Amino acid sequence: MKQIFDINHIFEENKITAKNKNNAAAYISIPEEDFQNEFTAISGKDIVLIGLFCAQNFNGYIGFTLFYVLEKRNYSNIVIVTRRLREPTASSIAALFPSACWFEREISDGFGVTFPDAFDQRRLFLHEVYPAGFHPLRKEFRNQPVSTRDMIAPEDEYVFKKVDGEGIYQIPVGPVHAGIIEPGHFRFSVAGETIFNLEVRMFYKHRGIEKLAEGKTPWQAVQVAESISGDESAANAAAFCAAVENISQVEISKHAWQLRTILLEMERIYSHLGDMGGMIVDVAFPKGASPFFVLREDILRLNNNLTGSRFLKGIICPGGLTRDISPQAITELTKYLADFTPRLQAAQNLVYATSSVVDRLETTGVIKKELVNLLNITGPAARASGVPVDTRFDHPYGICSDITPQFHKRIAENGDVLDRFNVKAAEINDSVMLIKHLIAQLIAGPVMTKMEVKDGYALSLIEAPRGQNLHWVNIKDGLIDRYKVRTASFCNWQAIEHAVLGNIVPDFPLINKSLNLSYAGTDL
Amino acid sequence: MKNNLPRFLIYTPRVTEKLTFHDEEFEKLGFKLKAEVNTIFGRSLAIRELDSGSDNAVEIEMNNLTTPYYDIERFGITFVASPRHADVLAISGAVTHNMEIAVRKTYDAMPSPKFVIAVGDDACYGGIFAGTYAVNGGADKIIPVDLKIPGNPPSPYEIIRALHGFMTVLAHNKNKQ
Repeated sequence: MKQIFDINHIFEENKITAKNKNNAAAYISIPEEDFQNEFTAISGKDIVLIGLFCAQNFNGYIGFTLFYVLEKRNYSNIVIVTRRLREPTASSIAALFPSACWFEREISDGFGVTFPDAFDQRRLFLHEVYPAGFHPLRKEFRNQPVSTRDMIAPEDEYVFKKVDGEGIYQIPVGPVHAGIIEPGHFRFSVAGETIFNLEVRMFYKHRGIEKLAEGKTPWQAVQVAESISGDESAANAAAFCAAVENISQVEISKHAWQLRTILLEMERIYSHLGDMGGMIVDVAFPKGASPFFVLREDILRLNNNLTGSRFLKGIICPGGLTRDISPQAITELTKYLADFTPRLQAAQNLVYATSSVVDRLETTGVIKKELVNLLNITGPAARASGVPVDTRFDHPYGICSDITPQFHKRIAENGDVLDRFNVKAAEINDSVMLIKHLIAQLIAGPVMTKMEVKDGYALSLIEAPRGQNLHWVNIKDGLIDRYKVRTASFCNWQAIEHAVLGNIVPDFPLINKSLNLSYAGTDL
Repeated sequence: MKNNLPRFLIYTPRVTEKLTFHDEEFEKLGFKLKAEVNTIFGRSLAIRELDSGSDNAVEIEMNNLTTPYYDIERFGITFVASPRHADVLAISGAVTHNMEIAVRKTYDAMPSPKFVIAVGDDACYGGIFAGTYAVNGGADKIIPVDLKIPGNPPSPYEIIRALHGFMTVLAHNKNKQ
C-alpha cells in the first residue's frame, strides 16, 4: 500500500519548527481516496484523536470541512487533518478511533453530515423532541426559538443497548437524580448487584453554546465560554482568550498571564476539593467529608476577594484581564495558603485512618491504562491510570514553561477511585505551591494589552481541573464564525461505561464522583 | 450499663471540634428563617433541587448550603431526594428542550400546596440563552414560579436572604386569609 501522506512524518517535521506554543498546529489535507488508508495506518499507535469537528463555509470552501485533531504522545505539536466534503456524507473512523464515535454523532446532529458506515448513528445532543432534519449549526439556521415535538412516535424513541440473559435486568436512572446534581440518564444492565453493562445518555442540558457564540465579538463571547461549565469558568475563558489572542497575534503582558495562571490554579484547588469531599459523602462518611468542604468554601471566598466572583467569572477577557487584582487580596491569599497543606493533610489522614472508607475506595472503578489513548481520557483520571498526560507540560500555554520546572506530573498506577483521590490531593498541594511561587515572582505590568481583532482561526488547549479542554475559534469580519469546544468531560464520560463494569450498583455514584464529570461541559 | 454513662453522652449531640468560623449576621438570619419555617411549614421545609440546564455553579452553591459553613439543616431546611417529599422546587437553568418533559414530570410529582423558586439568572429569565433555539428561556415558561433569585450564580447568602423574604410574604398571605 502506497502512502502518500505520512502523518507521523508531519509530526516529526513540525516538532523542530514548532515554537512550543499553542498555535503549533499544522493543518494538512488528505485526498479523499487516501483518507481511510492513512487513518487505518496510524490507528492503534500512540496517535490520539483529541478532537473532531465540522465547520461550514470554512476559508472560502462552500460546504462542510471536517477537522481531525491529532496528538502524538511526547510531541508538543498538534496535527489537524482537514477533510473537505463534496457531499454532506463521510466515511466513519469510529471503528479505528473509538473516541470518534460521539464526535461523529455530534457532527451529524449539528450539521446533518452523515456517516453511513458508522456502527452507532443514533442522535446525540438533539433528543427526540427536536424535529427531524433540524441541524442548528448550519449557517442557514438563524439562532431563534424552535418548535419542538409534543408527541414522539415509538420508532423515533432512543434505543438503548439491550443485554439479554438469565437474571439480567435493567435499571433506568435519571435524568433527575436524588441529590443536588446535574441531569443525565444511566441505563444499567445488572446481574444481581453487579453491573454488566452501562450506557450513559447525556445532553439533557444542551443549551446551544457553540451556536450562541456565533456572530458575537470576542469580548461578548467570553461570557459564553464562562457558561460552558460553572466550575471551569476560568479555564474555558482563558482557553478562548488564548485562541483569540493567537489569531490577532497579540502577546499579552506577563503580569496578566501570571494572574490568569493563579486563577486557573485556584480553580483546580476548589474543584478537586469538591471532588474529594464528594467521594467521601458518597461512601456515607459526612464527618470525613466536612473538612474538604470547609476548605473549598475558604477558597471560594478567596476567589470572591480576588475577582469579585466566587467562580472567577467576568475577569478574564481577550487582551488580559478586565481589572487588576488588589495587592491586599494577594496578601490575604498568601496568608491563608501558609497553613493550607497541613490542613488538607489532616483531612486526608482522617480518611486514610478509616478502614471502612479505604475499603470502599480501593479497587473500585478501575480504568485500564489501555483505554486512555483510545477514548482520549485526560486529566486526573488518565494520570491515576498511569498515563502521564498534562497539557501544562505537553502543550505549554501562557507562562506554563515558567511553572513546569517547579513540579512534576502526578501519576498513580492502579486507576481506581483511591488513586484518583490521591492524585487530586497531590495536585492540590502542587497548585498551592505554584500559587505561592507565582506570587513571589509577580512582576508589575499592565493587565490589559490593547488589541485589534484580526480574522483567522486557532486551536487552544488548556489543562482544566477535569483534564484537557480544546477550543477552536474561527473569526470572520471581527465576529465569531465558528466556536468549537470539547471539554475533558466529553471524552471522559465514555470512560465511566468501562470503569463501572463488574462493580456493584451502589458504587456507581462513588465512581462517578471520582471522575468528576461535568454534564454542562459535555452537553454544551 | 446505661446508668453508668454520663447523661450528656446519651442525650446530647457530641461536638467533636469547635468551629473556627462564626458569622454573626448569617446566624441571625438563619434563626429568623427557622422561626418562620416553624410556623409556616410545621418546622420542616423540604426543598427538591432540579437542574434544567444550568452551568452547575448554582448546584455547587446549593450544595454548599448543607456544608459546615452554612449547615442550613439547623434551620429546618432539608434538600430531599424525591419531589414527592418536597414543599418547594428550586429550579436552576433556562429549561432546555431536552429537559422539558422531565421538569413537567417533576413538578407534577409534587404534592400540593407546592411552590417553585427559580434560582439564578438562567432560571429567572433565560440569562444569556434567552431567545435561542435550545432553551425555553426561564422556568416560568414551563411551570408557575413563585420566587426568582437572580445571580450568576446567587451566593449562599443571597439564597438564604431570598428564602427569608419568601417566608415573610407567605406569612403575610397566611395572616390575610
